[in-house]
Amino acid sequence: MSNDSIFKTFLVAFLLCVVCSILVCLAAIVRIDKEAYNKQLEIRKTVLIAGGFQQQIDDGGNIDELFTANMELKLVDLATGEYTTAVDAATYDQKEAIDNPELSEKIPADLDLAGIGTRAKYAAVYLEKSGTVILPIRGAGMWGPMYGYIAIANDGSTVKGFTFYQHAETPGLGAEVDNPNWKKQWPNKQLYSKSGRLALKVVKKGAYDPNAADANNTIDGIAGSTVTGSKVNNIIRYWFGENGYAPFLNKLKAKRG
Amino acid sequence: MAKAKDALLDPLFNNNPIALQILGICSALAVTNKLSTALTMTIAVTLVTSCSNAAISAIRNHIPNSIRIIVQMTIIATLVIIIDQMLKAYLYEMSKALSVYVGLIITNCIVMGRAEAFAMKNPVGLSFLDGVGNGLGYGVVLLAVGFVRELFGSGKLFGVTILNTVNDGGWYVTNGLMLLAPSAFFLIGFIIWGLRTWKPELQE
Repeated sequence: MSNDSIFKTFLVAFLLCVVCSILVCLAAIVRIDKEAYNKQLEIRKTVLIAGGFQQQIDDGGNIDELFTANMELKLVDLATGEYTTAVDAATYDQKEAIDNPELSEKIPADLDLAGIGTRAKYAAVYLEKSGTVILPIRGAGMWGPMYGYIAIANDGSTVKGFTFYQHAETPGLGAEVDNPNWKKQWPNKQLYSKSGRLALKVVKKGAYDPNAADANNTIDGIAGSTVTGSKVNNIIRYWFGENGYAPFLNKLKAKRG
Repeated sequence: MAKAKDALLDPLFNNNPIALQILGICSALAVTNKLSTALTMTIAVTLVTSCSNAAISAIRNHIPNSIRIIVQMTIIATLVIIIDQMLKAYLYEMSKALSVYVGLIITNCIVMGRAEAFAMKNPVGLSFLDGVGNGLGYGVVLLAVGFVRELFGSGKLFGVTILNTVNDGGWYVTNGLMLLAPSAFFLIGFIIWGLRTWKPELQE
């Protein structure tokens, strides 16, 4: 049979499609199973790092074990600052909720400091044994969205840890937000000043003065990443302002007495 | 035997896909700021070129001429998707670092070029070796560029600190240009220059 007959052309095309689609399906089945677990593991690892468990992870600690032993998932209604059980926490996906009109709300442009447009009504926060809460944050970075977690002690102001798990900042410059040496400045800084005003900020590299009155509200920036630094500032100003976690943190502080 | 050796080794230097044929430059710029991504990309491309060459060569006598490009494309795309999915399943961090560039192997001219120029005319074994050779030829350049970029850009090799950088409290001021794509252009330019000086017969 000639290779170029119409019948042979269709036959080859058909057989090739069948074989290739079976192979692609098999690969996808393997991937779907694993990927959900990988994503969960990534979140768990980030939450643990933000919560101050970097050392245990470096020492080879099992992430799933550390996580289940120390962390409890809760949903917070951002509008009221109360814990909520309106939706099931275990199956709630905050990133997906952003696309669901029932679970999200548009942020008015003048309040949208972090440049995120829409936010989920409920935040999936993690409660650490000692009372520290680990809160998801996100916002526009220099080249793309940044996602991370920040851990706040139960006084509602002391930062315990901070880390991004997804961003597209410039390698070597803005991407140094991942550098442990930079992140170690964050623990024990205060979100709010003594008068209760949101004061935590990243300043330009070298502008940090350890003896200044506001030193415990100030974080030294990264050389060559002024833009990334200001984006991080915007994220903090939004998420710890009145439209972010402030109501929740106030209640946390009140409960502590 | 000599033919097999040529098929495998020629693409390394004498007929290097990047340095001589100037193919596959896009990904060579994108994935070379770290050696680990460059190495993973090398392995992925070598797997795709060798397997697609072998598969296309195996059915070359049955491919209707009128749809041969589509047939090659389908085989290449299938292999790329499988590799992409496996990376997502088993090397999740790496697949995030490589982002879209694994999927873009489909459009890498090296793969398609070898299928059309070599696998359609040669037996399976020889085509397979030609694919391995071209993947490695691509990889040699990628790794050379990645070595320079990671060493001078972040002071590291495979993530291990070699030059202690200022950001980590050391002495080495990193070269920011090395972390950005244009540096790969310069480096590939130097490689092409060096190769043609070493082997003057490659000059056009």
